[in-house]
Amino acid sequence: MCGGGLAAHMAAAALARQLPRSIQVVWVKWRDPRDTDLFYGGVSGPTAYSFNLSAGVSEPRLILGTDTAFSWGTRFDDWGASHPSWVQCFHLPLPVVGGVVYHQHLLRLGVGELEPLLLPAVAARRGVFAHPPENGSGPLSRAEYGYQFDPYSYREPFGMSATSSGAQVIAADIAEVDCREGRIVALRLANGQSVTGDLFVDCTGPDARLLSPLGVRAPQGRQLKAALSHSPGGKPGAPCRILVARDFGWQSETSLQSGRARLTIFAPETEALALAAHGATPSHHGEVVIGRRDVAWAGNCVALGHAAAVIEPLTHAPMLVLQREIERLLTLIPVSHDMFVERREFNRQGAADHRHAENFHRALFETELPFDTAYWLAARAMPVHETLALKLTQFASRGLLVAFDLELFNAEEWTIQHFGLGRRAARYDRLADQQPVNELQTAFRNSAREIEKLVTSMPSHGEYLANLIRYLKQKQW
Amino acid sequence: MPDQIRNVCVLGGGTAGWMTAAALSHKFKGQPLSIRLIESDEIGTVGVGEATLPHIRNFNSALRVGEPELMKATEATLKLGIEFCDWGRIGDRYIHPFGDFGSDFHGVPFHHFWHRLRELGDTTRLDEYSLAIMLAEMGRFTTPATDPSRIESTFRYAYQFDATRYARFLRRYSEANGVIRTEGKVVDVTRHATTGFIESVRLDRGDSVGADLFVDCSGFRGLLIEKQLETGYEDWSQWLPCNRAVAIPCETRGPLTPFTRATARKAGWQWRIPLQHRVGNGHVYCSDFISDDEATEFLLANLEGPPLAAPNKLFFQTGRRRLFWNKNVVAIGLSAGFLEPLESTSIHLIQDGITELIQLFPDREFAQSDADEYNRRMGLNFERVRDFLLLHYVANQRDDSPLWLHFQNLKLPDSLQEKLEAWLTRGLIIKYEFGVFLPPSWIAVMLGQNLVPRGHDPRADAAPADLLAKNAAAIRRNVLAAAQAAPDHAAFIRQVGAASETAPLVAPSSSIVDRPPA
Repeated sequence: MCGGGLAAHMAAAALARQLPRSIQVVWVKWRDPRDTDLFYGGVSGPTAYSFNLSAGVSEPRLILGTDTAFSWGTRFDDWGASHPSWVQCFHLPLPVVGGVVYHQHLLRLGVGELEPLLLPAVAARRGVFAHPPENGSGPLSRAEYGYQFDPYSYREPFGMSATSSGAQVIAADIAEVDCREGRIVALRLANGQSVTGDLFVDCTGPDARLLSPLGVRAPQGRQLKAALSHSPGGKPGAPCRILVARDFGWQSETSLQSGRARLTIFAPETEALALAAHGATPSHHGEVVIGRRDVAWAGNCVALGHAAAVIEPLTHAPMLVLQREIERLLTLIPVSHDMFVERREFNRQGAADHRHAENFHRALFETELPFDTAYWLAARAMPVHETLALKLTQFASRGLLVAFDLELFNAEEWTIQHFGLGRRAARYDRLADQQPVNELQTAFRNSAREIEKLVTSMPSHGEYLANLIRYLKQKQW
Repeated sequence: MPDQIRNVCVLGGGTAGWMTAAALSHKFKGQPLSIRLIESDEIGTVGVGEATLPHIRNFNSALRVGEPELMKATEATLKLGIEFCDWGRIGDRYIHPFGDFGSDFHGVPFHHFWHRLRELGDTTRLDEYSLAIMLAEMGRFTTPATDPSRIESTFRYAYQFDATRYARFLRRYSEANGVIRTEGKVVDVTRHATTGFIESVRLDRGDSVGADLFVDCSGFRGLLIEKQLETGYEDWSQWLPCNRAVAIPCETRGPLTPFTRATARKAGWQWRIPLQHRVGNGHVYCSDFISDDEATEFLLANLEGPPLAAPNKLFFQTGRRRLFWNKNVVAIGLSAGFLEPLESTSIHLIQDGITELIQLFPDREFAQSDADEYNRRMGLNFERVRDFLLLHYVANQRDDSPLWLHFQNLKLPDSLQEKLEAWLTRGLIIKYEFGVFLPPSWIAVMLGQNLVPRGHDPRADAAPADLLAKNAAAIRRNVLAAAQAAPDHAAFIRQVGAASETAPLVAPSSSIVDRPPA
């Protein structure tokens, strides 16, 4: 496998750790001059915990070894003409009341605010954090969390896990990719070495240095640029990324252990405006085309991360898709030279994952836009897939959440987005009428009070991290 | 909110009709919704599907029906899976269980480890890692544990019951819930002049029944969905050519088995469903390859006990209605489509239809989007069952009759073709989220019918062979111990108070039908 960014580190760790010793993982650690890791967005979702663990990176290791902090999700501010603000948080399934899904009762009561009923959303706004108990009851046990991180430090423990799990690392540039009959035969490195393999894993970023020579077309989407900078110092702030709509695109602030990361995403046409608004001198710049290649696996080469597709980091989707790609590759490590079945299934699932991510992101622009500038118009001009059209139509019609096989975003995430953007349904499930209104109102009020009370007693994100780090150090993790 | 629907008319009182009436009357209890069911004692019901899938328990528990009460009333037995005989090759047998095989390890499904052990010379059947199969083979039963760490939590169960009695049971339940039953046959239908919606049906006794929504449970005829609305039918007989069935109950012989049996025959297959008071039998066949008389004779010759009634013949065309919901008519049951009961899906598809209808219950404006979503969901349910049924016919090595030769050259739906290729190459099950059959079902049928994958997930090679063998042996021991600790199936039924008060049925001394010598 080849690459030097976040995708390469994570894939190397997962492959080296989980594959049998009979499969040798050779990692050509090539530093991509076109650094695009900032496009992963610095935020991951609840599945990161188990993914990382299976790649040999435990949460204590991540917290002690990197700048990573906890995340309840992303807060969107001013994301629309009416300046809506909501926390796109992570949450376990919402309760079903009287056989009717939760949000239908809210629609019936005309309650537009879902947030007071979601602990992670309230906690995110207050800047407090605590681990949800595994087998507890109460609203905290229904909350889920991910991480917010600096991709350049986040990847390091994965690299260490890869090497300790037996990956053979070669630090070198690629000079040439030797292809024959639609397959890669060898990588010729700048140091004169030649690397052969049965399967080549391309983690070389958007240029897809391995996949491209096999004739796989690059994506043809809209162009985006990004700038990332870090301002050190201060206590960690909110355990959620704060993402604000701007005329040039958007800007996010992410609290890490040692400071804040600012990410500015913008259309190339408005670069001057965006960089001026970014303020601090960016430590990282990037430019990408959003979209996916026709296939991520061609011949004996499979592309992961940005080599396969670039997803705008509006949510944790870029990290989620990357994790799923790596997990899928592990499930589909070829058992023969032919690889036909593996290739077809990897590409089929990859296309589906990408569509799911695209749907969720495209839906964010199905609102009255806050600006009519290049970024917003281009985003809005992206086609609405028929599956998304169905989702939007059904929610508008009767608050129904249409779901397809193995989606990336669950029903709660869609509900939160719909409510966050102020979408309302023309009807609600009439079975909701069976619950007495006053009982429901009391139940919702009590639930909001319980959350409020609990959140008030929770430590600030900074305090929690400090105590956790102290504890972990004492335990000598 | 738009005007709510106030009147529902369910047309037909078989299993589908009464299940629909029961569910709607329970769900909408306390709401201004009047439900009327029209049926005629003169029209027989098919009573399709005496065997069920575990999902039926959710349906019954949602109605708050007690299990012993239901089992007694319907002569029900418990079902842990289906035994398939002579599929694959003549002489083969396997059980498709309602449960898992072993447990996943580090995200790798257990059957990959089994495959590796097999390559290392282990001859253990995968069945020995399935508690449902072991219980079924021993004729034992116990209820699953709720603690997921226990081996006893790794299976589910369903019922084998008398579908006609089930409908009768639900009729009592529905009527107690306010459903009005009207005796009569539909002789005329009034439709709205511009929309074409059904406004009312006129019965042979002269009365007319109007409703906002009509649920067509009139069986194969599709009195409203087809005869009136001419919705059309998607014919799937190019994939599933069986088009006839003959059914007959017989006396019980031998112990009460907690599983249904499906035996492959030259021109189709034969079912055996053990109930408490009798055994249900049927022969599903393709009329291109056997005559009706031959099929009936064949069935009669292969009964385990004397027949208890005359043979009942059914004619069908496999497929589905082009729209399950058209205008203000929703077709549920045989009027929606027919898939042979090889995997006990008939009642399950009724249940799906009802569940989706409740979730998408319309109002008087009848938004087209409600119908579209219903049709999308039910279309997917039918397609996925179709693929799974087809798997049984194509995953076999039989060439002893024209029917089996027919399947050897069949062009499969892409969805199934890809599943088979993925399995054969590396034991990969292509998963989906919406559909009734989960990966263990696909594994059971494919392995049971001798489709052994050429490879397995390389991650299964990570553990040392001796450790793998040791762990596998421990699972087998656990499964065996749990199965041996369970009571006998019939004893369990008695223990939980679900035993029928009816004595086993006995054929009259002069048999109802002339039975050819076996």
